[in-house]
Amino acid sequence: MRIKIDYKKCIGCKQCEIVCSLAHTGTVNPWRSRIRIFIREEFCLPVIAGPYTEAACNSKGMVMVDGLEVDGCVVCRASCPTKSVYKEPDTGIPLKCDFCGEPPDPQCVQWCAPEALTLIEE
Amino acid sequence: MFGWNGRILRIDLTRGTNWVEEMPTYLMQEYIGGRGMCIRILFDEIDPRIDPLSSENKLIFATGPLTGTGAPAASRFIVSAKSPLSNCIANPCCGGYFGANLKYAGYDLLIVEGKSPGPAYISIHNDRVEIRPAEHLWGKLATETEHALRVDMRLRDDLDDWALNTIGIADIGPAGENLVRFACIMSDGGRAAGRSGLGAVMGSKNIKAVTALGTGQVNIADAEGFRKAVMGFYQEGRNNGELIKRRMYGTWSLPGRANKSKSQASLNFKEGYSEAFVKYEDPEVIRKLIRVRDEGCFSCPFGCSKRSRIKDPEYPKTAKGPEHESMALLGSNCGLGDMEDICRANYLCNELGMDTITTGTMISCAMELYEEGYLPEKDLGYPLEFGNRNMFKLLKQIAHREGIGDLMAEGGIAFAAKYGHPELFMGIKGMGIPAWHPQAFDALGLQYATNNVGANHTKSTLPFYEGRKDPAHFVEFTKKDQDYLAIADSGVLCWIIYHGPLWGEKLSEWLTYITGTTYTQETLDRLGERIWNLERLFNLKAGITCKDDTLPPRITKEPRVKNRVVDIDRLLQEYYEWRGWDKKGVPNQEKLQELGLEKEGAGVI
Repeated sequence: MRIKIDYKKCIGCKQCEIVCSLAHTGTVNPWRSRIRIFIREEFCLPVIAGPYTEAACNSKGMVMVDGLEVDGCVVCRASCPTKSVYKEPDTGIPLKCDFCGEPPDPQCVQWCAPEALTLIEE
Repeated sequence: MFGWNGRILRIDLTRGTNWVEEMPTYLMQEYIGGRGMCIRILFDEIDPRIDPLSSENKLIFATGPLTGTGAPAASRFIVSAKSPLSNCIANPCCGGYFGANLKYAGYDLLIVEGKSPGPAYISIHNDRVEIRPAEHLWGKLATETEHALRVDMRLRDDLDDWALNTIGIADIGPAGENLVRFACIMSDGGRAAGRSGLGAVMGSKNIKAVTALGTGQVNIADAEGFRKAVMGFYQEGRNNGELIKRRMYGTWSLPGRANKSKSQASLNFKEGYSEAFVKYEDPEVIRKLIRVRDEGCFSCPFGCSKRSRIKDPEYPKTAKGPEHESMALLGSNCGLGDMEDICRANYLCNELGMDTITTGTMISCAMELYEEGYLPEKDLGYPLEFGNRNMFKLLKQIAHREGIGDLMAEGGIAFAAKYGHPELFMGIKGMGIPAWHPQAFDALGLQYATNNVGANHTKSTLPFYEGRKDPAHFVEFTKKDQDYLAIADSGVLCWIIYHGPLWGEKLSEWLTYITGTTYTQETLDRLGERIWNLERLFNLKAGITCKDDTLPPRITKEPRVKNRVVDIDRLLQEYYEWRGWDKKGVPNQEKLQELGLEKEGAGVI
């Protein structure tokens, strides 16, 4: 099971960030969210937090996604020492998507009205 | 505390200081937030007779209890001050990310007082509030300013990529700096708190921009219940035809609707129909022609804002808009029928920071004056008949106050009077009339005329949802509607979504979940009515009377559309009666007692 991202449908409303923090912390604060939307002029890119890596990588640069040139650090899902996203703002504890528990019921998918995020069996 | 932060941030520009005040409880409970709090504070703190461009005017940026909570379409913030255009109260609202950031930074209201000695911008990063020099930003266009500020913030605040996208910026373009009386406050690359000329108030205080970045949180009283309610709402919303249309086309479905029903402002309101707009009656045509992607404001899943492409190499690749109002006022109203041209005009207005609606009526007024021979070509320096692309030149002249633009920047009343024909400016209380022709529906004429801020399209519902243009009830309905939207603007919820598809109980539902205080429909109706009456009292004190609740003679005397005129005098009397006001539009003693506003009414009635 995984969350499929269709970035072309994303409108950058950040409802997924809001509900993620709401579901995990009981408060609304996008800085505590496990999913982040990176907004560009021509498209928005939702990225879901993956596992923490202890070391920063040395392969930074631009990568091509679907014909678009994107900063590799942006599409990388890892929470790492050099990035400030996917960390609890107060404690610095790394965050990771847990599919909102067992059985998986990701709230971001539930709240994503444009259906840029969908849960698929795989 | 739930919903609200309970904190007011005040900045005194003259002294260069700032401090935080605790929010009085009654202000939260009885005025909700946004628009309600703004009028209460302005009523208490400024003399309604002051010069709006003097340092005594106060500029308030306000959020509401719903802002930043994830309640659908609760992204907006209200900017309020006394308007330099209409001399009334002004409270335009604006979407984007600014409101939520102000809230996350820990403030419900930001009150800016005094006048900065030199160009400056205000930077809010949680508890760190600074007034920074802005010489390097002065003169820049709106998105240029935002870009420069993001570069500043990347360096000074060490922000990452995601955070830079998340910050909210409210800024003015050259029009605001030059005190053009219908200048907007722009936000997030093309959204505007547009209608009342508050850009000029910001310019008069020498403030180029306000940036807000908040990393804090908003607490919700019943988080679980709220989360489920919103989820249920989205599941319903997927089948709501109106919402689906909004998401797909935004306001682009309206030019067709208006044109087909002969109610599209056209050629300075001489007509209600534009031949050139027939090709845009199908919104799919516009979508295919210019759309790049849909954009949502913060926490709004409907994404009715569209990013569009301008093919002209002189312009940037993509820009926000144009919305229906801009299409009508800068397009059909000025005789432009080509979407590319409309996009250009809209882009110029946004970048220069001018209200597209009032600007549109100004230009169409100049065009009619020119065609009728009242405005000599030597004053302009070029011909300017309807549809002439010289209007782009004129737009820039107004924003920079060059040549004839200097006079036009003072607003339509002064401009049209100078050339001897004040009746050719299509405005109410100095503010240009929006896209729907008032002769098409009597209800519209009444709504524009009685609006506290001037001819505004956002403070009463356009009467296009079932039952609302019912001839027997629309006067009563207008009153209800105005009160309802006073609450929506206090929430702050987006009127585009909540005035049509979601009319009704949703306001009280979200408020109750979030604040933990039980709000019923009846309480909210009363609070809304009180806000409206308090605004009226402010206007009366500022010297605005029932004589200003009127429409241009073109609307009341010349049957231009559907062979009808608006009998505004009769409608006004009926409306005043519903409001509980006397024949001169002054709230009477009983009404004020009922609303608990006797003290405020002293000296007016």
